[in-house]
Amino acid sequence: MTQHVNSRRGSSRRAVLKGMAAAGVATIASPFVVRKLAAADPIRIGVLSPVTGAWTVYGAAHSRGFELAVEEINAAGGVLGRPIEMVLADYQTDQRLVVEHANRLIRQEKVDLLAGTFSSADRNAAGPVVKAADKLLLYPTWYEGQIKDYYPGVCNKNIFMFGPEPTQQVWPFMEYMVKNHGNKFYMIGSDYAWPKVTNLFTKEKLAELGGETVAEVYIPFNTPQYESVLRDIREKKPDIIFHSLTGSDTVNFAQQFHAAGMNKDFTYWTVDDEEVVTSGLGPEVSAGHFVSFDYFMTISHPNNKAFLQRYQAKYGADALMNTVGVGMYNAAHMGALAIAKAGKVETAAIREALKELEFADAPQGPVKMRGLDNQIVVPSYLMKVRAGWTSVNDMFEEVMTVPSVEPKDARCDLPL
Amino acid sequence: MEILVSVLADTVLITLVLAFAAFGLAIIYGLTGVINMGHGAMLTLGAYFTWWLLDQGVPFVPTVLLSALAVGLVGLAFEHLLIRHFYGRPFDTLLLTWAFFLVTTEVIKIVFGTDFRNVADPIGGDPVNLGIYQVPTYKTVVALLALAVVAGTALVFFKTTLGVRVRAMTQNREMAGLLGLNVAAMYKLVFGFGAAMAGLAGGVIAPMFAVQPYMGDMFLVRSFFVVTIGGIGQLLAGTLFGSFAIGGLETVLALFSDQVIAQIAVFFIAVIVLRFRPQGVFSGR
Amino acid sequence: MTAEIQPARRGVFRREDVAALAVFLLLAAIPLATSGYVVYILPQYMLLGVLAMSLALLWGHGGIVSFGQAAFFAIGAYAMGLVMKHLTGMAINSAYVGILVGTVGGGVTALLIGYFLFSAGVRAAYFVVATLALSIVVEQTVKSFSDITGGWNGLYVDRMTVTLGSWLELSLFDDAPIYYVVLAVVVPVYVIATALMRGRFGKIVVGIRENEDRMTALGFNVPMYKTLVFGLSGLLAGVAGSFYATHAQFAHPVNAGVLFSTQVVIWVAIGGRHSLLGSFVGAIVVASLSNYLSSIEEIQNYWPLVMGLIFIAVIVLFRGGLAGLVEKLAGKGAHGRAAGH
Repeated sequence: MTQHVNSRRGSSRRAVLKGMAAAGVATIASPFVVRKLAAADPIRIGVLSPVTGAWTVYGAAHSRGFELAVEEINAAGGVLGRPIEMVLADYQTDQRLVVEHANRLIRQEKVDLLAGTFSSADRNAAGPVVKAADKLLLYPTWYEGQIKDYYPGVCNKNIFMFGPEPTQQVWPFMEYMVKNHGNKFYMIGSDYAWPKVTNLFTKEKLAELGGETVAEVYIPFNTPQYESVLRDIREKKPDIIFHSLTGSDTVNFAQQFHAAGMNKDFTYWTVDDEEVVTSGLGPEVSAGHFVSFDYFMTISHPNNKAFLQRYQAKYGADALMNTVGVGMYNAAHMGALAIAKAGKVETAAIREALKELEFADAPQGPVKMRGLDNQIVVPSYLMKVRAGWTSVNDMFEEVMTVPSVEPKDARCDLPL
Repeated sequence: MEILVSVLADTVLITLVLAFAAFGLAIIYGLTGVINMGHGAMLTLGAYFTWWLLDQGVPFVPTVLLSALAVGLVGLAFEHLLIRHFYGRPFDTLLLTWAFFLVTTEVIKIVFGTDFRNVADPIGGDPVNLGIYQVPTYKTVVALLALAVVAGTALVFFKTTLGVRVRAMTQNREMAGLLGLNVAAMYKLVFGFGAAMAGLAGGVIAPMFAVQPYMGDMFLVRSFFVVTIGGIGQLLAGTLFGSFAIGGLETVLALFSDQVIAQIAVFFIAVIVLRFRPQGVFSGR
Repeated sequence: MTAEIQPARRGVFRREDVAALAVFLLLAAIPLATSGYVVYILPQYMLLGVLAMSLALLWGHGGIVSFGQAAFFAIGAYAMGLVMKHLTGMAINSAYVGILVGTVGGGVTALLIGYFLFSAGVRAAYFVVATLALSIVVEQTVKSFSDITGGWNGLYVDRMTVTLGSWLELSLFDDAPIYYVVLAVVVPVYVIATALMRGRFGKIVVGIRENEDRMTALGFNVPMYKTLVFGLSGLLAGVAGSFYATHAQFAHPVNAGVLFSTQVVIWVAIGGRHSLLGSFVGAIVVASLSNYLSSIEEIQNYWPLVMGLIFIAVIVLFRGGLAGLVEKLAGKGAHGRAAGH
């Protein structure tokens, strides 16, 4: 546990130099500024990413979203005259190691704030750490919303949510789906909190719309076989399969659903299968699926075009981006904006500055952090997977867009 | 009636697919005694080779055969470099095969990337509708292939001189050596064949599952149960029964409860079975 | 599993005592010399070390391999978390009750399972798989009863406070106090376990490992001794789990998982399964090493590969783990026997 050389720090240092070269023309008259930036201590942000382990498939987009933003911020001169340094930690998709690495980043790497973790379980593991150390955690993933029971993983004034919760991801499209595709829902999800709470909200709205939930099924992680569920679906004859399986299970299920010839008989609406998963499904299996999220690579917003250009220039034309990567991207930029606004790198000041902060350049369209419950206001998109898609760049077609959705108030002691 | 037929058919399919996935382990663990923690990684490797070869335009059948061959060669190399020095030391081989899992998984990530990879269903099309049961085409082909592979191997094992030698070797290594059998070569052959079977299974099941670097993990623990419940070294009856107990039973139980409870119950039952058949169900003893 | 023929090596014990003293003195000195992350994380690794010891006494002494140690660890962790959460407003310190419930819970569960399996003669690989199932069942149960346990989202556990009647109240929120509390638990656990395994009980257990039939013929109740040593092992894992939960402030189903159970086996194999101290140190070394490797950014995307190569090196270069290596170095010439056979 000694000091070590750090390539990512190296690359961000290079980025700083590049940024300074770009800014050089403007600052030729005042070399003092350049010297000051180069000499300044960096602002250190610890990033907890699932680089290895079960969520490794999400790790790349997750860490790259943040890395790209940091590079952009530094190229533009950093924050408060200081560059940002990203210190990446791989927690191997193991909640035990989230605790270890969150503490390592804070105590040993002396980071000023934290960003990342992927699943709600990971975030909940980091919750007590950021509470005890009084550091911020910027969390990027779509999730189940906040309920006081899970404090300090949620309802924690030090945690800011950059991903949508069910009332943003699902509710805006319920009426459309029920009207056009039927009101009998078959709900299948992984056996944990996010699918359960998502279904709870969905059922509530469905009841309002006069619909009916014919079944609600939960599947343990890493299940290879779905025959009994498929049989149950045929028997109960729903209109819509409302799907919230995650990880490999979503691919396993969709592939067997397709192999059973059921794609044509049912409407398939998933709130999980972003670009990473849909690539794994392939064009035949995923054709015609409805997917809803706050971000897709194929959305036509001008912010996204510019964003993807930068992203693919850095990571290659095939590099995947998704809602989580964009959550990380926004978290980095909004974190930097908040530090600039606060004028100092100090938890309470950044926290206050993040509240009600707007970010107009977000790839999915302008977003805003709520002051009441640290929850982001984002656009929401309903997409349909294009038949015969060839890459992430033509995977989805827009069905419906809501430019800005407020979440339901968190069920915490508000304001946070 | 309809439900009975479909549950029965599903159970058979699940059992055979799982038997396929576990077969490589049944060979390596059952015959050489190596607790192969790298079995999952061998499946994964087979799936990735299959994905890569298909991507190069190789047709499906030669692709899976080449994948089996490639994983078999990897297994042989691993055996030759490390494992052969540690036969008879099961917990050293356990560590070595765990290291094999770690290293192989990371190499897969470096070479093939961390994204999900997609292997399309080579047959495609709708299931065959028999009125009372919709036959999923590809899965049925896989199940039949599994049956052929397991039964074929058992035939070789029980009816040929090669099989007699292998059995002699597993029952008494020293004696086999005294009788002039080349025990080292035999172990190598068995280990390589087991790895090739894992590679074949990985390639063949790839169209039904998510291809990602930890794909094999899903089958690693299940395979150990299959092999142990059936009885270590019981290639045919043991593998098939174990697969039914771990895979098929889950489907039957899921009829009466939800899938979560069914999965817990399966492992619970596995412990109880071991309590009353402490050497596996098909043990000779 | 083949029986590991390992005659009791009386001469080694004294050396191991010296080594143990050195290790614990070193651990006691660390917070005096430094602060920060090392002082924070070491108690967690020490508790993983206790978990490793729980397997070493089972495997090294008893010749019984368990892939279910995480199950008992998780029972300890969740007992601690749930008792501390729900048992409030009592005169007694709820953390003490939690530790008691966690420890006894781990021990009693192991006793019951052990009795169930050993009385029927389940052994070797079949026992391994039964304990593997135990890990899975506990993990799935904890996941599924989410109303109580928090399910996959995990359970927040408070930091305990040490109280002694009304005249002592010591908050453990700072790194150093909880470090010493954990050390004060780990040392007696090690001493008691070592004493037990060196005493009559341990000798019988080793005797069973070496020749079960002979021990039966001599009139020993073999299944009972196996059950007892398994119960002891569950007890140790339970203690480790309950303190771990309050230190990490989080309990999660992965604490019961197969992967975690496998890691325990790896630690013990690396540390040396015949030595309680070796496995204790093995856990700390492997956990520190993987923490360190995963923090080096040059290899961050493939550090498990480096870890795998290190495992291979350890097995190929020194059979018998770290303890075997140390012993070989220390006992060169004095003992003809190579360690670890």
